[in-house]
Amino acid sequence: MTVSTDATAPRLAVCDVAKRFANVQALVGVSLEFRAGEIHALLGENGAGKSTLMHVLAGLLRPDTGTILLDGRAVSFASARAARQAGIGMVHQHFTLVDALSVAENLALSLPEQSHFLFDADAAAIEARALAERIGLQLSTPDTLVAQLPVGACQRLEILKALAGGGRVLILDEPTAVLTPQEVRPLFTMLRRLREQGRSVIFITHKLREVKAVADRVTVMRRGAIVGTYDVSSVTESEMAERMVGTVTSPAIRAHRERVDGAVVLQVVEISARDGRGVPALQGVSFAVRADEILGIAGVDGNGQRELFEVLVGLTPPAAGTVTVGEHALTDFNPRAALAAGIGHIPPDRHREGLVLPMTVQENFLLSRNILDRFNRRGLLRRAAACRFAAQLAERYALHFASLDTPVRFLSGGNQQRVVVARTLAEQPRVLVTANPTRGLDFAAAAAVSEALRAVARRGCAVVVISTDLDEVLDLSDRVRVLSRGRLSEALEPPIDMEHLGLLMAGAVATQNEARS
Amino acid sequence: MLNHVVARVLPSLLALAGAVIVSAVIIAASGSNPVVAFGALLGGAFGSLDSLSDVGVKSCPLLLAGLAIAVSFQAGVWNIGAEGQLLMGALAMAALGTYGARLPAWLDLASNLAVAAAVGAAWAGIAAQLKLRRNVNEVISTIMLNFIALGLISYLVQGPLMETGGRYPQTDALLPGLWMPRLAPYRIHLGLVIALLAAVAVHVLLYRMVPGYEMRAAGLNAAAARLAGIDVERRVLMALMLSGALAGLAGGIEVSAVTHRLYERFSPGWGFTAIAVGLLGRLSPAGVVVAAIFFGALDAGSNAMQRVAGVSSVLVAVIQATVILFLVALEHRRWLPGSPHSDGESQV
Repeated sequence: MTVSTDATAPRLAVCDVAKRFANVQALVGVSLEFRAGEIHALLGENGAGKSTLMHVLAGLLRPDTGTILLDGRAVSFASARAARQAGIGMVHQHFTLVDALSVAENLALSLPEQSHFLFDADAAAIEARALAERIGLQLSTPDTLVAQLPVGACQRLEILKALAGGGRVLILDEPTAVLTPQEVRPLFTMLRRLREQGRSVIFITHKLREVKAVADRVTVMRRGAIVGTYDVSSVTESEMAERMVGTVTSPAIRAHRERVDGAVVLQVVEISARDGRGVPALQGVSFAVRADEILGIAGVDGNGQRELFEVLVGLTPPAAGTVTVGEHALTDFNPRAALAAGIGHIPPDRHREGLVLPMTVQENFLLSRNILDRFNRRGLLRRAAACRFAAQLAERYALHFASLDTPVRFLSGGNQQRVVVARTLAEQPRVLVTANPTRGLDFAAAAAVSEALRAVARRGCAVVVISTDLDEVLDLSDRVRVLSRGRLSEALEPPIDMEHLGLLMAGAVATQNEARS
Repeated sequence: MLNHVVARVLPSLLALAGAVIVSAVIIAASGSNPVVAFGALLGGAFGSLDSLSDVGVKSCPLLLAGLAIAVSFQAGVWNIGAEGQLLMGALAMAALGTYGARLPAWLDLASNLAVAAAVGAAWAGIAAQLKLRRNVNEVISTIMLNFIALGLISYLVQGPLMETGGRYPQTDALLPGLWMPRLAPYRIHLGLVIALLAAVAVHVLLYRMVPGYEMRAAGLNAAAARLAGIDVERRVLMALMLSGALAGLAGGIEVSAVTHRLYERFSPGWGFTAIAVGLLGRLSPAGVVVAAIFFGALDAGSNAMQRVAGVSSVLVAVIQATVILFLVALEHRRWLPGSPHSDGESQV
């Protein structure tokens, strides 16, 4: 089956689309065209606005302003289902399949309803097969349960679902992130076949290599705006990287600090770890952090950031390698041991891991083994002393609340993060591991948190900032390393070559230990 | 501060009001006068010293089992097995109660009560081990353990533990030395004092002690507690076993103070009503005391209501159930401040 093509008009045109969330302008008047019969890559860092734009196209978000033209006609979708029926289907990073249902039943969920009450399993199976044949996709047996399918087959099913409404435009959100390297090649073959059929394939990624491998054109986004659209054959990987990272942010890195020469406090040697799926997530990661140093670990999300944080704070034992604080190598990997060794932390998601929201500010100040033990008198909580401690912390970190008995849920995001930071600093850690410490904070709160991190470093703490926000890394760090596909780059010292940094982040140049192996 | 107290109590009061209105409509629809019926209910519960004492007797097992619910739910462990743990505690008391007299009577009673609590804890401990070692959801395992406890008692009272002479499927009566002291001539007994002391102890544990703080933190946000270096698994085990101990104590006291022996259908479902008591009391020990007395009063007054107003005593069950439905429906309210569950954490 081929989709009719109008040579003059673009398949899909985005005209001046803007979208604002509570305090973030996610899209600033974006205009962009997608042609029929092309694979169009959308490249950008985390938070560049790629996903927001695609969610607008797929009917999941409504734009504040702007129009979308599908084959020259203005369209507006009330739901993802409506978008799919009109021919725009999206495959999300996290699959939206029902594990307990069969392949055919899952497909039936995205087909137009035959009846509101009855489900005809045989008809669904026939239709599923017909659809797969029309598109030329290999489908597993229709009555196989999705739970039993390998990831690659799930993805094919998702693509089929997305194409069920005619499939003029197929949007894929980082489709290779969930695949093993062996599964990537068939995916690309499939995408090329869809292109031959005259469909538009939009491919969100931040991997330059994949853009080069499969895309015809590439659009680079940064901070909610389009940097430019290029023919892939006419741009190099390093040009793409430079445009993705942007050269506007001149290294605001702490240039005034000449050289860090404190003693090494944190020494990480050849750490390897696997993620939840058992796929290697960290491979031979080594680094050292000195007292009075802030080491930034930059990189695009999903390249081992979470695993590195988990190993350092003791949530996940590494498969190999050692972590040494001062003279002592960690023997047990659990949070209690890490805290005892003097490794404090600011977790990436304060709501999920940093705070107990229904508990009061004062109770949250106690939420660390190191602090709790100070107020433990044979099991009894020394309430008066804990109360004085909380008041002192609030005073020192200029935390202004109605009362320390306020549930922390009622605080602003900035104040919540200040609670986490104040508590961690009160432990007087020798090493401080932070992940995205200023994410989601307004300017004043972010500045306060940054200043607190610098202050603790000055007092002789070794600070690690793992962040997917490059500006945050550059703003805070003395030196920067890049984590890409589980491997760590050499340390970059200021002045930082932004183009090189971008290439490292995009995985376009080999990291040290990759070159070695 | 006052705001937060109001925010905690308000849902319970609203649920009560809702339940009163609904049951008034039902009473009126069945052709009786709601005012007369509620008056009889109140009079039956609080009208005389005798009836007051009855309220205390009925509240006692609900209070202890309600505390069992509060402890486990606050730690994020959904113990639905208070009924089974209570029955096992009762079994221990009944089984031990025909021996004894080796020690002074009060020491015998105290040690038997301790054994009842320990047996309840052990019964809950099975569910805890299944959860920690095999990742079995405690809701399922505690419910199943209820059935096993029921079956076990049914077998024992018809077989090995059947009374001498073997006329009825019940155990022998406890030796009189093991009977819980009463405030004669009323039925009210020392067990209520033990239950109230237990409420104080649970309050101290949860709000004045480090293990209790850790249990609450683990219950409200296990991921944050774990990262803070709290041994979440240990607190889960502790909460579930303490919960079982309180329920077991409830069963032991009931045998010692009221029935003096064990038989099938010994419990009218205290372990389940306790969930309602715990929720109505907002899982706080003080709240559980109030809720247990309220449920006990409904129970004690129901006969008077049936006698005087001709409204079936079953209506009390309707009131209890309606309270819980309202309470659960109010859990996800947007229009009340400070819902403890408004952040998508543990839900009931």
